Amino acid sequence: MVRFENVGMRYGMGPEVLRDISMHLKPGSFHFLTGPTGSGKSSLLKLLALSHRPSRGLLTLFDQEVSTIKRAELPTFRRKIGVVFQEFRLLDHLSALDNVALPLRIAGADESQIYKHVAELLDWVGLGQQIDAKPPTLSGGEKQRVAIARAVINRPQLLIADEPTGSMDSEMGLRLMHLFQELNKIGTTVVIATHDLSLIKRFSNPLMYLKDGTLFFSRSDEYLEQFQRSSL
Amino acid sequence: MIHLFGKSRELQLEKDASSRYLPVVISSMIFLAALAIGGLFSIHSAVQDWTRAVSGSLTVEIAFEEGANLDKKVKIAAEYLRSLPGIEDAHPLDLDAAASLLEPYLGRADIIKDLPLPRLIDVTLSEGNSLDLMAVAKKLSDTVPGARLNTHRPWLDKMIILARSVQLLAGAIMLIVSIATVIIVIFAARTGMVMHQDVIEVLHLIGARDKYIAQQFQNYFARLSLLGALPGLIFAIVVMQILSFLADRLDSSLISAPTLILEAWIALAMLPPLVALLTMWTVRWIVMGSLKRMM
Repeated sequence: MVRFENVGMRYGMGPEVLRDISMHLKPGSFHFLTGPTGSGKSSLLKLLALSHRPSRGLLTLFDQEVSTIKRAELPTFRRKIGVVFQEFRLLDHLSALDNVALPLRIAGADESQIYKHVAELLDWVGLGQQIDAKPPTLSGGEKQRVAIARAVINRPQLLIADEPTGSMDSEMGLRLMHLFQELNKIGTTVVIATHDLSLIKRFSNPLMYLKDGTLFFSRSDEYLEQFQRSSL
Repeated sequence: MIHLFGKSRELQLEKDASSRYLPVVISSMIFLAALAIGGLFSIHSAVQDWTRAVSGSLTVEIAFEEGANLDKKVKIAAEYLRSLPGIEDAHPLDLDAAASLLEPYLGRADIIKDLPLPRLIDVTLSEGNSLDLMAVAKKLSDTVPGARLNTHRPWLDKMIILARSVQLLAGAIMLIVSIATVIIVIFAARTGMVMHQDVIEVLHLIGARDKYIAQQFQNYFARLSLLGALPGLIFAIVVMQILSFLADRLDSSLISAPTLILEAWIALAMLPPLVALLTMWTVRWIVMGSLKRMM
């Protein structure tokens, strides 16, 4: 599903922010990605979302090497990836419904089906009463739920989320994590970047952590133990 | 057409302040272009009229000579001309007719008649004639001393050169207007790209193709061009009609009122869709080029 082989990444002519990243995420896996601020989490997510190309190494997505893929082929790959941005990146002038419907419209879905699917999903994330609300009138948590709904509406094969539960209460956070788990059960590969140790503890999924641009793998209990030791 | 007039749903280009005045600029450009087209066609039809009028007729001038019987000379010259194949008619102008021709320039006709005026013969050529005018002129001056054949050709050639120069100038104005329009549209499209970079990035990341994004820009700018072109064209037509009316009032045989032939009306009607298409292609080219530089 996702394979990194000695991947490095830099912005322009700057220093490498990711170094020799090698990993293999199997189809249907569920990983947390954590690490201190500035460790390169967002950069790794950018590579996964195909918003940046690696400066070296090989990056394989959906069994195809994509680091040197032609631009014209990128949209096809991107439509298989759902992204929840940390800063939501909703379109303020569109309603919650239109924001969530965007990936379907771009993919050319039938307009009569769009409303039904989007309304159902918004209802599921607890925004059934606010389908016509525009993002500036929504709270942080509500915006995040719209962003999550937009990321999953297309049933992506790979779901990437950057701090997806950061702006919501624990009950809604758990509810959305269960949504991610359900998507994972039907085969979606999920990568969630988070600082939330309670989330990592509760869901016990395999964990990747970044330190100084280098990626390490761990079980969640091992990582939490190590984290507690280093905090003491 | 639905695509052309559809709003830019995601990019909301309609709310951009940077392109709000584009229709005014396009309107001015279309106004100039329409005047240039009107000028081009008016001059073209004027040249055709002059050529038609001049090529079918000649004037014979018999110089004034003290004591000579000018009436006799006119009669001989007219008879000689009528005898030539290719000449339909040779009509001598009497002194009154000649004086009235000069009246607009010299004053009252009764005074002009006292001047030593040359006598004129208006010659109408038959269609498809193969007259050797040089030979006719020579034979005529041999037959009637003092008679001179005026083909109007040197005058017409100068007028044609002048008309062609004005046509070139009008063409140059059209070219400059087109280039200026393209530059303005490029600037507006680039500004729009910068202003909406965030949304463009989001659209890309959720799988939008470059064409999907470019279409929103090109449709919006084409619509703006069309909205600007229509009032510019209408204003130009009104101005041309006023100029035509004023030229008509000059009552001059040389400067005929500019008249728009069917081709000119077609060319004018084509201006708004053409400028919309030019804008659409320019914007598409610029936006697709800029998007290619993004990931």
